[in-house]
Order: sequence, then structure tokens, then C-alpha cells
Amino acid sequence: MKKNVLKRFTAMGLAVIMVTGLAGCNKNEATFTLEGGDPNDLPDTISVMADTIIEEQNGLQDICDEYERQTGIKMTVEKPDHAKYYEKVTLSFASEEPADIIEMGSTYYPQLADSGALWDMTEAWNNSDSNCKKIIDEDYVDALKINGVLYGFPMAAGNGTITYVREDWMKEAGLSNPKNYDEFINMLRAFKARGGGAIPLTASGFLNNGETPYDIYLREFYQDAIPDFYKDEETGMYVDGFAQDEMKEAMQRLRDAYQEGLIDSEIVTNKTSTCRDKLGSGLVGAFNYWAGMWSLKLQRTLNEGNLKPIPPIEEANGYTERVPTAMAMSIYAPNKAAIFEHFIMYSHDGGEGQMLFTHGVENKHYTRNADGSATALPYYSDPSTPVEKSFYAPELTITNWNDPIPLDPMVKSSLDEFRKNRRFASVPIVRDVIAENLADLNVVKDVTIATAVTSKTSSVEDAMEYYNEKGSYYANAILDDLNSEENLAAEEAALAAANGESVDDGEDADASAEE
Amino acid sequence: MANNNDNFDHVIVKKPSVGERMFKYRWFYLMFLPVAVVLIIFYYWPMLGIRYAFSTFKLKQITLRTGPDYSTGFGNFARLMDSDPFHAAFKNTLVLSIINLILAMVCSVVIALLINEIQNAWGKKIVQTVLYLPHFLSWVVAASIFMLILSAGTDATGADTSNTGFINAILLQVGILKTPVDFLTSSKAWPVVWYIMNRWKETGWGTIIYLAALSSISPDLYEAAEIDGAGRLKQTWYITVPSIMNTILVVFILNLAKVMNVFESVFVLYNSLVYDVSDVIQTYTYRVGIVGNDYGYSTAIGLFKSVISLILVSASDIISKKIRGFGIV
Repeated sequence: MKKNVLKRFTAMGLAVIMVTGLAGCNKNEATFTLEGGDPNDLPDTISVMADTIIEEQNGLQDICDEYERQTGIKMTVEKPDHAKYYEKVTLSFASEEPADIIEMGSTYYPQLADSGALWDMTEAWNNSDSNCKKIIDEDYVDALKINGVLYGFPMAAGNGTITYVREDWMKEAGLSNPKNYDEFINMLRAFKARGGGAIPLTASGFLNNGETPYDIYLREFYQDAIPDFYKDEETGMYVDGFAQDEMKEAMQRLRDAYQEGLIDSEIVTNKTSTCRDKLGSGLVGAFNYWAGMWSLKLQRTLNEGNLKPIPPIEEANGYTERVPTAMAMSIYAPNKAAIFEHFIMYSHDGGEGQMLFTHGVENKHYTRNADGSATALPYYSDPSTPVEKSFYAPELTITNWNDPIPLDPMVKSSLDEFRKNRRFASVPIVRDVIAENLADLNVVKDVTIATAVTSKTSSVEDAMEYYNEKGSYYANAILDDLNSEENLAAEEAALAAANGESVDDGEDADASAEE
Repeated sequence: MANNNDNFDHVIVKKPSVGERMFKYRWFYLMFLPVAVVLIIFYYWPMLGIRYAFSTFKLKQITLRTGPDYSTGFGNFARLMDSDPFHAAFKNTLVLSIINLILAMVCSVVIALLINEIQNAWGKKIVQTVLYLPHFLSWVVAASIFMLILSAGTDATGADTSNTGFINAILLQVGILKTPVDFLTSSKAWPVVWYIMNRWKETGWGTIIYLAALSSISPDLYEAAEIDGAGRLKQTWYITVPSIMNTILVVFILNLAKVMNVFESVFVLYNSLVYDVSDVIQTYTYRVGIVGNDYGYSTAIGLFKSVISLILVSASDIISKKIRGFGIV
């Protein structure tokens, strides 16, 4: 009898735990305002969640202390483990007050913006009279706008990839920079003719590991193909770029080059680290990789020979600049306008704020020289390596400021070459339907292009038949949603609202725009 | 002299109540308390998360703190059943895991028996150490090693073989192959490579428990068998194997519970040309759940996976009880 009573109490206890657990999940109520407030109403503390800021062991606290000394505002920073950064960002919204300022990469930025988690800072930016406004390259700000709305401010350029070639190999073959696709292929042929296991061109996969822009690495082959959904400017409707003729032509170019042995046969199994290792071993003739600091790092991996960034070939329509990493603000942050001015604008002020956010604290991370220039000091944890950055990468600065620490000439030359020929990628489109179908669709795309190029199918057309058979279900679901009257009208209304134009559709459209 | 038992025939021994027994053993319960707390916090409390399987739960619900939308009901499961990639992943998970499980059992038992036959103590320790070592490598390293040795070279035409891995080089040298084969991009070869990589890495570690079981077999049995004229093979078959059969079954059933959990070893080795044979439930969940931020759907997949594991373990336990007369559950 007593045993039964005990069992009952145990069961009741467990039920109570379950119920409190279930009830507990909804205890957080949304408490926030979307207004920015008074920009002069200084907050006591600004909390920051950052992925790429300097580590604790290299003086993160010194940065916070210096910021407080300069502005009178206390700064706290949470820097989660890199691999779990976005998981922590999401969790911070779910379980506690998220940080006021959150560093957002280009994949997560539109997702968080679409979810309504990020504050619309368009008006704050438009009304700002900070020095940042005078010295910034506004292209970077525009690159983060979603339907004309700014949900995050660029902390640095998104950067992009550029094709590096072995200059010594080119010289030996008597070649100059290839200007068009034919010359590019001839250059690869010359590299192949060296023999001894030379890999004319290497890459890791065909579609940039499922991250947009998918075609960032193999620009010479993709040319005008866009293996993603995009809005056709002529019709104003979205199309599936992967199903277009341009994509078939791109696959054919890749297939021909692969069959001729001009592309690394291990492209499907390569990781980017594998490619870098192969390059370092002196086997690779051409490799499309990040401009900037990577040019220096890649050169250092080479035992002999030298790398040279080349301009894009005519057909490639330039290199692609990725969407910049953003400093976004949570809708739950207090004093948003003030934080915008005293943190975001301050970090790009071209003066001591930018110096702090780029190079760190004087006499801890850098020293001033007599001529006004500065020299980076070594990391606390690694006395043999000078501090590269405290938070914002100096080589990817988005302002026209006079950086007292000059860039390495090789870094500068690769960036100059890249920036002369870049075009900005658009912010990825985010919709629930896309989130539901994209993972499966990307697998179909991966399989299609890999089988077409490596000749697992008899022709590109065969591979496209596979895509149409397996991928059309997902692609059509996405297109139906993107091209729905409701979505197109909402986009139009949002864009009109962002441009300050009146909206014809009245209150409904306004409501859509706010959403 | 009266029988002592007779004196107590009329005495009814009162069984102590649960409370009394708990009080009597209170110090044991106190010692168990931290374990119970850890179990509740880290194992049972997170199980409440299974409710998300019956909801639409995406990034928006988290960031705006509106909570999951439970009106979905069994919608996530319906989507699961309707998804071709999930069906393929489910089939691949079962095929890869169960074959790997059987291979694991056979290889580990055979290797354990062979190690057990080594008489020289130093030799035995060296062999054991060499066999255990791969277990301590990460899957990333293991996959890199296999990619290197199985490389077909970097020239797709096969004309330049100066970069081929040593397996291809050997096969080319002895004339078995005319051109290098890229084992990792072939749907036929990939599963074989994956089984070999798994066995190379984990077989040594898997022998430990069998070696422990082997050490508990009484030497008298072997002595008696020898007197009866049994040779080495017959001793193994009639004494060793039956003696460790219980251990084999327990290990098999425990490992069966984990067959749906294969992830890392596949994730580091698969590629777009072998998705048809390599995409497993965990890699599928990773793509949909983590990349797509669809927490409700990925929880549904997780729950489905757990139910299948439970069915497999229960079924094998029942079969074990029928055949051997005992199970472990």
C-alpha cells in the first residue's frame, strides 16, 4: 500500500517538474522598443558579443578599460568559442538578455534581421553627424541594406577572393596576365605541361560549402552564371539561377577543364586547408582565395616561387565582394541611438576610437613612433607575433583614415587589385520557405554539378535532368513563395518606405513593410 | 533440546517501510544525491525538449521570445515521412551502422582471441598499444590519413600519376589497375573505405572488454580440454567463445542503441559524389537543423531516431532472452 502511495507521489512529482518545465519556456516576454531614443542619453554600460575580437589572454580587458577611459561608458564583452558563436547568439536571445551589440557574419545577419531581432538603424545612420559619415565608403553601408533597411553597420569590408597565380611559372612559360577565358585556359595548359604532378588550378568544391555567394571561388568558370535565386531586373520576378542556360554553360566549362586535367581532380574531396597545403608544396599554379592578409600567408607557405594576384578575366565580370560583417544591435538594447553614436560611429571615427578598435591600446598593443606612425607590439601570449588587430581588420577598413600602422605591400597590392575589380554580393534572401528547402536543394545542386563536371553523367544536360527531377520540388516551392504577390508587394513597400516614398497600398502595405 | 527454528515459527518478521529503509541507508542516499542531481539536470531535464518536435520552432520564435507554435502537432513527422532525402539518410544510417556493428563485433572478438594467444608479455603489450593508438586520433585526422593514402592523384586524366596515394600506386605497380581509382568519390567503394577506416580506428579499443572477459576464463577448463585431446581451435570454439558469449551479447546490444548516432566519421569523409550512400540521419539533421535553423523539425528527426534505437535495443533484448535466456534490460 505504502509502496503504491510512494509511486503515486513520485509520479506526481515528475508531472509537476514536467509542467513547470513546460510553463517555464514561455516565461520570457518580449519587452523592447524599436525607437532609438536620445543619442545623447549615454548608457552606463554597453554589452558586446563578438566573435573576432582579440582574446582574453591578449588583452581584451585592456580594450574595455581603454574604451571606458575614452568615453566614460563601461564596455563588457562576451567572446564565445568560435565554433559555437552563432549557437550562443541564438541562445542569448532565448534564455537571457542578449548583448546590445552583436557581431554578425553575412549568413546570419539576414536571418536575424528577418527574425525581427535586430534594430533598424537606418534613421540613426541617416541622421548621424559623426565623423564616420564623412570618411566612410558608403558602398559598404549600402551592401548591408535589406530592401533599403539597415539592420547592421559594417565593421569591416566583407572582402572577397582573387585568383593568385605562380608568377615564376608564368614567366617561365612566357605568359602575361590572362585577359579572357581562352588565355586563362591556355595559362592552365602551360602549367599542366610542366608535369611532375603540377596542378594547374585547385579549389575546394564547386559551390563554396553551401555559403553565399556560392560562385565566389571559381569566378573564371562561372562568369555570368548565378547558382542561386535572384530577381530578374527585366521581369521583376525571381528566378532559379541554377536552372538557367548560363549555369549549364558554366558547368560545361568546368567539365571541359576538368576532363583536360586543368582542374585538381580532387576538387570534390578537397578542403580549403588541403588546397593551401598543395599550394605550399609548390604543386599548384592557380588558386582563387581571399585577398588581403591571406596573400601574405599563402606566400609564406611557399618554399620557393612567388604568388601574384591577377585581375579578373573579361568574362568574369569582376571579383565578388562578400556582404560585410555587421555590428548589429539587438531590439532589446536600451538607448539604441546613443549606443549607435557612442559605440558604432565612435569605432569608425578615424581617430582614437578607430585606433582602439583596430589596433588596441597604446603601449599594450602598439607603440607610437616619433614621426607619428605606430608599430604593433607582440601578442601577450605570443611574443614572436605582432598584434594584427584588436577587433576590426586594419586592411579591411571601410573608412578613409590615416592608419598609423602601414599595411604590408603584398597585402595592399592584393586588396588594391581586388577592389579595382570588385562587385558587391547581395544580402542573401531569407524566407521561411527557403530555410525549409534550401538544405535539401543545395545537396541536389552539389550532386548535379559534381556529377556533371567529373563525368559521372554522360553530359551536362543529363546532370540538369537530375536537377530538374530532384530539385524542382524545392526550387518551385521557393520560387512560388518569392514570386507570390504578397511577397513582391511587401518588398516593394519596404523599399518605398526605406526611400521615404509614399506607399499606394495604404495601411496594409505599411504593415507589411514594418514586418 | 528444542529446535531453534521451532521457537520462531510464530514470529512474523515485519518488513521495514520505504521510509525506514531510506533512513537506514540515508548516507548511501546522500552519496547518491550528486549523481541524481547530475542525472536530472543533464539527462532528464533536457528531455523536456522533445516537445519541440510537435511544434514549429524557428529562429523568429526564439529571437522574439514568442515560444514554439504547438499547433503543428505531428506536422514535422509528416514532413519527415514525405522527405526523399530523409528516407535515403535513414536507409544509409541503418546499412552503414549495422554492417559496421557486425564487423566491429567480429573483428574485435577475433583480434582479442589472437592477442590472448600471445604468450610474451612484452609482445602482447606492444601489439595492444599499437592497436589502441588509432582510437585516440580524431576523426578528422583519421579521414585525412585515408584521403592521403587513397588519393587518385591530382590529374583527372590519369596521365600524371606522380601525386597518387600509395594504395593506388601499389595497385598500378602490380597491374591490378590501369588508371588510378578515386575510391572516395565512388559510390561503390566509399562504404568499404568507411568500414575499413572505422575498423582501423576502433577495433583495438573494442578488444579491451573482450580481453577482460577472456582473462576471467578458468584455466582448468583448458587443462581439462587438453587432457580430452582438444586442440587450440577446438578449445577456442568450445571453451573460449561460449565463455565470452554473454559479454559479446551485452556489448552488441549496448552498441545497437548507438547505431543511429553515426555522424563525425561520415561527416569528415563524405562528399557530394557519394551522398547517395553516405548521407546519414545525423548529417541530414545537421544540414536542416543547424544550417536551416529549423529546430522543431530537427527535434522531430532526433525523436524519431531515438524511437528507432529503442525499438532496436528492445527487439535485440527480447531475441537475446529467447535464445540465451537472458537479456540486459
